[in-house]
Amino acid sequence: MGKKTQENPVLDMTPMIDVVFELIIFFVVTLTEAQKKDETIELEDGQHGIVLTPDELPPTHMQIDLNAKGRISMGDRTLTPEEIQRRVAERKKKIGEFPILIRADFATQHKDVAKVMNACTAAGIWKLSFMAVGEDKTHERKRLKRAGR
Amino acid sequence: MGRKTQENPTLDMTPMIDVVFELIIFFVVTIKQEDLFTKLNVNRPAPASGPSDSESDDITVTIEIGRRADGSPNGVIVYNHVEVTRPQLDTHLKDIARTSKTTPIIVKCAENSPHKALVDVLDICYKHGLNSVSVFTL
Repeated sequence: MGKKTQENPVLDMTPMIDVVFELIIFFVVTLTEAQKKDETIELEDGQHGIVLTPDELPPTHMQIDLNAKGRISMGDRTLTPEEIQRRVAERKKKIGEFPILIRADFATQHKDVAKVMNACTAAGIWKLSFMAVGEDKTHERKRLKRAGR
Repeated sequence: MGRKTQENPTLDMTPMIDVVFELIIFFVVTIKQEDLFTKLNVNRPAPASGPSDSESDDITVTIEIGRRADGSPNGVIVYNHVEVTRPQLDTHLKDIARTSKTTPIIVKCAENSPHKALVDVLDICYKHGLNSVSVFTL
């Protein structure tokens, strides 16, 4: 017994360091994934809509961001309505019908929303959805309303 | 030396537990809770056909959305040629939903109307289960 403890006098830290690195990598990867969107967009409330669960968002879905100034983007790339139309058409040719989710700011003018909708319909996707806030867990909307926006 | 290790035969877990708690606190603080999001589906008419008034005798409900002259972010909602508030529209749509939930709803938006008004109208439609909503641009 005494001999054994003398053979391993220091604590082996290797597994703990492995676990810590694993955790760091996991969170770095998941965080950067979530940040690929236009952060300036403030959505309108819509608590009666269909709740967006992973089931309602199949991997084939496409999300188009539209900010208050009419900037159209996907991920971190700014796109024109023509580029949207081309992308939607290409995707439709490849995988068939797929859902499109438009994440438009509440202050966006309808003509900019119409540009996106027209691009999608011109590419053959007729069913579109608008994203809204179902439950304000971060209290972001409440704060905006207080600020008078 | 041999005597010392025999005095502490068990591994001291305290620093590891400290580190684990530190990590838990760090992630609880940094991870912010996400909002719960919803989606509101709309149908889009063929761009060429446009809003046709010569549709069949089926009852359709038309709601118009415009921009208020003072540029208010809420916009103007017009139902049956009369400007309505959101609670008033809610009452009207409730009556319609009682008759038939499949009643087609046509929302006509002015180009300069705010998107907020459209989402509000769609939300009221969804509240009463009116799911066949088409959006036109004026």
